Amino acid sequence: MTVNRITDVEFGDTLPVFDPDTRLANVARFVKTAHWNGPRFTDHEAARAEGLPGALVPGIMSQGFLAAMIHRWAPKAEILYVDTVFRAPVIVDQPCHINGVVTDIDEATGEVEIDLTVTNDAGETRVFGTARAKLPN
Amino acid sequence: MSNAIDVEALREAYLNEVFDEVEVTLDAEETAAYAASCGEVSPCFTDPSDPDFQAPPTLPASIHPSRQRPKGFPKVVGLGMDAGKAVHCHRPIRPGVKLTAKTHMHDIYTKTGRSGRMVFFVNRMEIFDPEGQLLASADTSSVVRERPEE
Repeated sequence: MTVNRITDVEFGDTLPVFDPDTRLANVARFVKTAHWNGPRFTDHEAARAEGLPGALVPGIMSQGFLAAMIHRWAPKAEILYVDTVFRAPVIVDQPCHINGVVTDIDEATGEVEIDLTVTNDAGETRVFGTARAKLPN
Repeated sequence: MSNAIDVEALREAYLNEVFDEVEVTLDAEETAAYAASCGEVSPCFTDPSDPDFQAPPTLPASIHPSRQRPKGFPKVVGLGMDAGKAVHCHRPIRPGVKLTAKTHMHDIYTKTGRSGRMVFFVNRMEIFDPEGQLLASADTSSVVRERPEE
């Protein structure tokens, strides 16, 4: 379900879960375009040699997933602010799920606040954050 | 000898002074690929021919300063980690436009837990268009867990 205007949004609304593409090929494409190329993001063995559990999805990519999730829910939303805390690594080739819930609405300004998490299949929160977005009245 | 970081002295000496400035021009095709790999589907982020084509809102967090700390900043002893990123979006960022990214230390603060004190360093990069309008700012937080006293 998508929303088009602020009056479509209710306090406590849960956004549709978004399962982003964390496969190696997509992460490699991302880090190339972001100029963040490095084996810790694109090579599981190289990442393990650094003591990591596997190749990492960059934090900035997880943050991009959060913004994409908001746009999929509200295509006309103008994102004003996204704050993310990297709690634990998101691992390449492991599924993750982007979850969001509306925690504040200001109908006068058209702004909503959304709490966001990135969780893995075990239900562990790897990244969490908050966003503010403006929707048409 | 104490390893403790003198946070007040660092705040006094280094906060709010621009220590880095880089110029960046986003490539349209790369910007579209960045957005698509994050899962954006709107043509305004994924199609360079769209009349409202712009960078996705979190892209400013990916821009690198040429240095992470001001000149003369003391070496911090401890285990360092990336703690988070925040982006404030003010105006759309258009590929092909020369951008100026200026970075300053925005905050230094501490939190104390059972494993000891952690010191957080927040760099803020502000991104301006050629007319000097602020388009976005990106905060990068890093945290250092101080080593316990010997």
